[in-house]
Amino acid sequence: MSARGLFIREARLAFAGGGGPAGPAAFYLAALALAPLAIGPDAAILAAAGPGVIVFGALLASLQGAERMFADDASDGTLELYALSGLPLSACALIKALAYTLAAFWPAPVIAGMGALAYGLSLEAALALAAGIALAAPGLVFIAAFAGALAAGLRRAGLIIALIAAPLQAPLLVFAAGAARAAMDGTGLTGANLMLALAFSLAAMVLAPLGAGAALRARLE
Amino acid sequence: MTHYDAVLSCTNLTLERGDRVLVRDISLALEPGQALVLTGPNGAGKTTLLRALAGLLRPAAGEIALEPGPAGWLGHAEGLKPAETVRQALDFWAALSDQPRDAVEGVMRALALGHLARRPCGALSAGQKRRAGLARLALSGRAVWLMDEPSAPLDAAGRERLSRLAQAHRARGGIILAATHADLGWPDVQRLDLGAEAAA
Repeated sequence: MSARGLFIREARLAFAGGGGPAGPAAFYLAALALAPLAIGPDAAILAAAGPGVIVFGALLASLQGAERMFADDASDGTLELYALSGLPLSACALIKALAYTLAAFWPAPVIAGMGALAYGLSLEAALALAAGIALAAPGLVFIAAFAGALAAGLRRAGLIIALIAAPLQAPLLVFAAGAARAAMDGTGLTGANLMLALAFSLAAMVLAPLGAGAALRARLE
Repeated sequence: MTHYDAVLSCTNLTLERGDRVLVRDISLALEPGQALVLTGPNGAGKTTLLRALAGLLRPAAGEIALEPGPAGWLGHAEGLKPAETVRQALDFWAALSDQPRDAVEGVMRALALGHLARRPCGALSAGQKRRAGLARLALSGRAVWLMDEPSAPLDAAGRERLSRLAQAHRARGGIILAATHADLGWPDVQRLDLGAEAAA
């Protein structure tokens, strides 16, 4: 019961507070719009670079909200109240990250799919990429949340978050981009890449909240 | 009306911050309905003692008993989100503690928050925020209240409401431990001066 109430509150705050889905979405769109200017107008090169650029943009967008995800709670007293709520802090971290994924990061697969078409990928490859981002999104956000919990309230938290989260997110990058490339090349490995992205996301959703809970507990003491 | 069977005690409690001993060998025991006011100069360890009693901080030595846990907490910051309205925040905290929804309105009246119900918490004054924090505490259904400077931002009317809230909680068998510099004017309270402890 209390977990449901916490999820609804966190989803509402993630959606309404601090720009909500517009923050990561605007960042993601800007990254996808600017990259071709650097890559050049050659359609074949653009299509070949597409999956990598689009997945990498999603990774960077997932780091957008990580700095504030727990720093606000730590500075405004919410963290103490959650710690005394009777729910374990790791459960609070899981609920927060899930709420953020669904309330603020939902545009990512849509943007990825549209971006893929704009980069000249086939419809099949674009759908594979959108599915890859959709399956990788929880993993990306949960790992970013774990790094955000470790860095909450520190100076240069953004740098620390990027250093901790990006290497852990690398497998998601590989599998999501791999799904689209497999669709482009017709290797038949799209499904396998999607399954691996999902498996890695699920593992992150189990492990990252435990780490985030321990980091928040250590922060309180 | 529920009657709490509350217990708050600690024995030979020693607390450290870094490698500095802040609180040494404190023992106290409170029974249902009792209140203790914690005084002492800045840096004497009042907040640290409150955090340890709440279980937010591991003591270097000593035992703590707080029943039924967890404690009701009123810290320096109220845990309010700027984008939430007062009513949304209190509904959430009441639901988190499985308190009935209609309890929210009574508590809001008692703390003169009725006209602020739809105001975002980010637009409240410090005193209004504290009253919202007190309402959250009153809706927590917790038996043991740990309060850090509860009256600091409140005006005279606010202090009077705080005092009534505290009396009502004690009348139900609740325990209150408040750290403060100001005279709260609560009747029949025990006192513990951490500055005096440190000097002794």
